[in-house]
Amino acid sequence: MGGGFRVLHLVRPFLAFLPEVQSADRKVPFREKVIYTVISLFIFLVCSQLPLYGIHSTTGADPFYWMRVILASNRGTVMELGITPIVTSGLVMQLLAGSKIIEVDNNVREDRALLNGAQKLLGILIAIGEAVAYVLSGMYGPVGQLGVGNAILIILQLFFAGIIVICLDELLQKGYGLGSGISLFIATNICESIIWKAFSPTTINTGRGAEFEGAVIALFHMLITKSNKVAALRQAFYRQNLPNVTNLLATVLIFLIVIYFQGFRVVLPVRSKNARGQQGSYPIKLFYTSNMPIILQSALVSNLYFISQLLYRKFSGNFFVNLLGQWKESEYSGQSIPVSGLAYLITAPASFSDMAAHPFHALFYIVFMLTACALFSKTWIEVSGSSARDVAKQLKEQQMVMPGHRESNLQKELNRYIPTAAAFGGVCIGALTVLADFMGAIGSGTGILLAVTIIYQYFETFEKEKASELGFFGF
Amino acid sequence: MEAIDSAIDPLRDFAKSSVRLVQRCHKPDRKEFTKVAVRTAIGFVVMGFVGFFVKLVFIPINNIIVGSS
Repeated sequence: MGGGFRVLHLVRPFLAFLPEVQSADRKVPFREKVIYTVISLFIFLVCSQLPLYGIHSTTGADPFYWMRVILASNRGTVMELGITPIVTSGLVMQLLAGSKIIEVDNNVREDRALLNGAQKLLGILIAIGEAVAYVLSGMYGPVGQLGVGNAILIILQLFFAGIIVICLDELLQKGYGLGSGISLFIATNICESIIWKAFSPTTINTGRGAEFEGAVIALFHMLITKSNKVAALRQAFYRQNLPNVTNLLATVLIFLIVIYFQGFRVVLPVRSKNARGQQGSYPIKLFYTSNMPIILQSALVSNLYFISQLLYRKFSGNFFVNLLGQWKESEYSGQSIPVSGLAYLITAPASFSDMAAHPFHALFYIVFMLTACALFSKTWIEVSGSSARDVAKQLKEQQMVMPGHRESNLQKELNRYIPTAAAFGGVCIGALTVLADFMGAIGSGTGILLAVTIIYQYFETFEKEKASELGFFGF
Repeated sequence: MEAIDSAIDPLRDFAKSSVRLVQRCHKPDRKEFTKVAVRTAIGFVVMGFVGFFVKLVFIPINNIIVGSS
């Protein structure tokens, strides 16, 4: 090894203690991969529904309400932390490695193992830290009422759930499953949320008598039970404070728009230097960074909300705290809603009419969304190793050249497309999210974007796996 | 005006690059779009209903569990 001290080596002593999934020592058949994926998903879903033992209550405002969508977490259940530990540690390690704060040589096997170990260790530490923070902050009732025993029990439950998620994701990543566990859990959580809002059989009383929560169920129920069909239809389509049919239609529309834009790509011809005449292509998608800008933007906003709510609860008289955001509890959902300050400005207006009533808020929100997504997207390609320079390097290593261009010009050619695709793709993602929120799509624009892009990726993975499987049979 | 120009120029360049990029893009035709839309919709519905039914099953189970404590 080089003479210099390396931060990554700090992890070495811990490697022995970290739970690890053995790498697949043989080619796992496609069918087995599907089974492993389904089993992992099922385990995750069950954990998402298991209530925590020992909690006193989960009433009161949920400070993480805004984050639930992208973190695949459920209030008051074993999966309260969701994928937060693993996503956070992944992002942190990516940033550290990408910005060279941590020195990693991906060609050295030990470095890769240490990096994985570091990420896992960090995930575990974050799980413990968050579990403790949840309990101490009174999320499950005041600590005094919980008692020390129950508090420790809750922390242990959340900790083990964190371990389970980490291991499930590793299982899928190590070749036993399709794609990544994180994406699978996020997408399923979002899809479930949308389907639930469409078909939920639970009833909620909002002052018009008990109504079904599910938009479709409510539609049919109203048509059947109300004598005035026209009024029933209008209510089903436009009712307030509960999912309605218009929300559902808006969701479908956004879904179709996202799929259409997914298909946009610049196809650059590439050729292998070795095998004569072997032609290929390198597609650069309009959504070059996929859903990453919206994840980062959501994470930024959610953290700002969390901090703002925390401060407002304790120092509501302070000028700067009020400037950051003032909060009020919604009469319907019981959630805190920002009513002024920066937190309010970066919250999506509730509807088009709300937008017209507060034009500055709407304008600020739109500009913030588009700019944040574009900047995050552009930054992400550098950090994640998918910039023009990185791609050129990869193609060179694979002995690929672009017909009509000298090897040294490869990066230059890529530079014409990749940064623009990243930034403009980010803007488009932001715009779609804004559009979805304004139209009142179920699950929020963020959620739909995430779900569709993840499912799209899954089908791409699916296609590749099937192709190699058939190729295997054909051989 | 100098300050405004220095702010607007990058935006203009960006807009120009974006337009060129979109024009250069291969766009999905009807057949391709339909194929992807159907597949993604199926994936969406399958994932959604798997989660939906797990939740449906666990509501009574949770009522029993929580009710007893």
